[in-house]
Amino acid sequence: MTRRQLLLALAACAACALLPLVVQKDYQLNVLFRIFLFAALGLAWNLVGGFTGQLSLGHAAFFGIGAYGLALFHGKLGVPVWPALALAVAAAVVASVLIGGVAFRLRGPYFALATIAFAEVLRNVAKNLPDVTGGDVGVQAPPLFAGAISRSFYFAAVGLTACSLAVTAWAARSRFGYYLMAIRENEDTALSVGVNATRSKVSVLAISAALTAVGGALYASLFLYIVPDQVLAIDISNEIAIVAMLGGAGTVLGPIVGAIILETASEVFKNVFHEAHLLIYGVLILLVVLFLPEGIVGALKTLRRRRGKG
Amino acid sequence: MDKLWSGVQAVLNGLLTGSLYAVIGMGMALIFGVMRIVNFAHGAFMMLGMYVTYVLYERAHINPYFGFVGAALLLGALGYLIYHGLLRRIAERSDFMQILMTLGIALILSDGILLTFGADYHQINIPLLDKNVHLGRITLNAPWLVSFAIAAVLAIGMFLFVMRSSLGRALRAIAQNRYAAPLMGIDVHRVQALSFAMGLAAVGIAGGLLLPVFYLYPGVGDQFTLKAFVMVVLGGMGSIGGAAAAGLTLGVVESLTSLYWGNEWAIAVDFAIFLLVLSLRPAGLFGSQRV
Amino acid sequence: MKRPTACVRLSLLALSLVQAAACKEGAKPEANTFRIGVVTSLTGPAAAFGQAHKNGYTIAVAELNAKGGVLGKKVELVYYDDQSKPDQAVQGVSKLVDQDRVPLILGAYSSESTRAIVPAVTQKQVPLLMPTATADNVMESGSAWVFRICAGSGAYASATLDFLKNNGAPKTLAIVYENTNFGQSNAKSMKTAAVAQGMTVVDEEAYQASSPDYKALLQRVKDKDPEVVYFASYLLDATTLMRQSAEVGLNPKYFTSAGTGFAAAEFPTDKGAGKYAELTFSVSQWLPSAKWAGSKEFDDAFFKLTGAHPAYHAMEAYAALVVAAAAVNAAKSDQPAALRDALRQVDLATPFGPIKFDAKGQNPHPVLITQVQAAQYRVVWPADAAEAKAVIPTPPWSQRQ
Repeated sequence: MTRRQLLLALAACAACALLPLVVQKDYQLNVLFRIFLFAALGLAWNLVGGFTGQLSLGHAAFFGIGAYGLALFHGKLGVPVWPALALAVAAAVVASVLIGGVAFRLRGPYFALATIAFAEVLRNVAKNLPDVTGGDVGVQAPPLFAGAISRSFYFAAVGLTACSLAVTAWAARSRFGYYLMAIRENEDTALSVGVNATRSKVSVLAISAALTAVGGALYASLFLYIVPDQVLAIDISNEIAIVAMLGGAGTVLGPIVGAIILETASEVFKNVFHEAHLLIYGVLILLVVLFLPEGIVGALKTLRRRRGKG
Repeated sequence: MDKLWSGVQAVLNGLLTGSLYAVIGMGMALIFGVMRIVNFAHGAFMMLGMYVTYVLYERAHINPYFGFVGAALLLGALGYLIYHGLLRRIAERSDFMQILMTLGIALILSDGILLTFGADYHQINIPLLDKNVHLGRITLNAPWLVSFAIAAVLAIGMFLFVMRSSLGRALRAIAQNRYAAPLMGIDVHRVQALSFAMGLAAVGIAGGLLLPVFYLYPGVGDQFTLKAFVMVVLGGMGSIGGAAAAGLTLGVVESLTSLYWGNEWAIAVDFAIFLLVLSLRPAGLFGSQRV
Repeated sequence: MKRPTACVRLSLLALSLVQAAACKEGAKPEANTFRIGVVTSLTGPAAAFGQAHKNGYTIAVAELNAKGGVLGKKVELVYYDDQSKPDQAVQGVSKLVDQDRVPLILGAYSSESTRAIVPAVTQKQVPLLMPTATADNVMESGSAWVFRICAGSGAYASATLDFLKNNGAPKTLAIVYENTNFGQSNAKSMKTAAVAQGMTVVDEEAYQASSPDYKALLQRVKDKDPEVVYFASYLLDATTLMRQSAEVGLNPKYFTSAGTGFAAAEFPTDKGAGKYAELTFSVSQWLPSAKWAGSKEFDDAFFKLTGAHPAYHAMEAYAALVVAAAAVNAAKSDQPAALRDALRQVDLATPFGPIKFDAKGQNPHPVLITQVQAAQYRVVWPADAAEAKAVIPTPPWSQRQ
């Protein structure tokens, strides 16, 4: 990263930090929270899905472990909130190693299906063990912040996005990152030049899981109440993947752009089209897939390259 | 003795339910095997098949056990159009984008149906539902037997088609190696369009057969998408016969789980078996090829 | 490399879009409308019930406005679709309060969504009227801002047990419930209350809602041979459960249930379980034939609007809005705190029954026990409301026509 880019990134962070001076309504802060939350989740997903080329459709597992970890370590075991958050993240990392150990033996769509299966097993277990998880009746999650709640959570989401962005920027240019991209381009070739593919893949999944778990915990803590069909649902996995893929899988800024556009669209459509909003949202997805097949940021890059040549 | 009979009864009921799963799974296997597309809209297409059969029954009084043919034709045509209009355009792109596209299609279908038919639940009542067949201490419900028979004929037909016809051969060639197939003079787009159409027709039939014993609403298909994924992997690499066998297995496993453990664990057991098979035998329970 | 700043610009643009869209409905700030917020499920798995809400609200709005509205202004509802997801319901409260400035919210549909918005309305200090959430955990927070119109799962259990005690006093009970908030809450309430009353719970079966095959589960229940089966089933699974009960020969003396699927208008008809529904008992919050003044009129209005007869969900939504309007008129104010105080004082006869909230915000709504007789829901309990005598025991399937 050049000095100029670093300055610009810092400027962007400062702008995000100052945004609440302009935006004061809780509703808008909540929309912004959701945008930045999914930007962070999309960035975390992008490490695995974009850079390493492993299409995970089970990130709800890590999201849910983060959410339930915070709620249960605090609520059932009496751990204070911040250590409970740390334990939740640790649990997600452990889960990611287990999941990775099995799923990374598979490639392509099989990997995607295996990740779905993990998330579904977790969701069903959470539903069926009411004594441990509260089952479908749900469980209370503790507040991480007191006072000015919407603003605090907004800052937390921005912070998480910055964290994920930093990890991504590092991955995009470190040796580790090159391993990942080599695996994406051709795993067998990567193996033959001495990349320990399994270790690299499990490591990157662990990093991604940790960031996703923090996102899940933030989400649970903002809403104060969670049920399995909400935080472990395949809808969450899909939304994370869609944000990253539509923004541009494998690009640094793609997930952020994806989150801004999709989360805004979803909120706007709901208020404008009422019952038809999911249909319009589906059409939007189709249009992007058809006309911007490398995602929005991917398409912009291609455009710049062409202009540069012409 | 009673325990034994309960077990036998549960296995038979599981096979009956499993035969419908099998049809859903075979449709997915056709699409997955030939196109490598994880079709997230599979359940939504099944829902569409149910609505077509339902409309034929309500408006034209066509018995659903004939009406499912209408669902098959309509979905087949729709599949052909969707392939040429949408999927073909992104055929060279990453798997990601194809998955994304099916997610978009699923949203459009279920919300479109909600806007057209409303969110209400519907079910139909035909006299056949009251008929039971008694064999000693075993009781089997007639509509399930009928759908089992239709599913069996369909499965055998599809299997023969894939193994014997020239189109079927082309289909298997693409499934084995989609880069070499065109070199052998196979028109890949034509074959893929037909397999997508057939896959949707199959899931439309499953919807039509399920309608009399179930109910419908715009989101009814969602759970079946996930089941179809399980079947494709258990069956192995888009194998049609394998997916059918996996469907029957799922039906029996769910039924026995309900009997001996609890119905609420059935889905968890489905996916646990799926993961077990994936980790021990990635080529699938019934597959032979390497992944 | 200007893209980080481009991102900021994009997010500002996005924000203004949200703002513009959210304001669209309020673009013409008519001074002569009084806005009330509604959170319900217009899409997603619960959409059918969200639609029932919407129909109930629509009838109430038309009636209220025909009578001149509230405080001389027309009533206008601002809807927010929670997509049957609790987090979206919370977003809805935030939008309705911050953006649309509604002083009062009705909703949500499901117990999950309703439970999720309790902290939000409490924090924002806006009164919430709950029309349909039966899980008792929605009232557990002790928030001073929530009011529930309908009876909860505890009341369902005690009404059913009260009926059983006075009608043959059976001893053994099996609970079959779907694996959702509704099912688990009702099962829990029933188990606790039944044990306290001295009954033995011989079996508890959770099931995955919306499955085509429950035969093995019902076989398990049959093996335990309970005198009473209590179903907590939300959707049309009620039909599947009853058809398959006949198939496996499950013959308890009483088929009882926690309403919803077993209390849907189409359940006893040919569009539902038909003859398999016959003689099943259900708790009910309300029926078109209820004795309260206005029930019949509501039924007619609903039929005119939709071409079908209403289940109690639509009536609960209707009643919620009627109560809200009464509170606004009594408070002569559009301030949330004043409305909350007025709600505490409400004492109103509605077609849903009398509504008067207790200290916790619960309306002690009487729960009826109905039995399907000749394809009609007939009230059989409590005795003072009964229109027919309960048929007990249920004859075995083999002896039915």
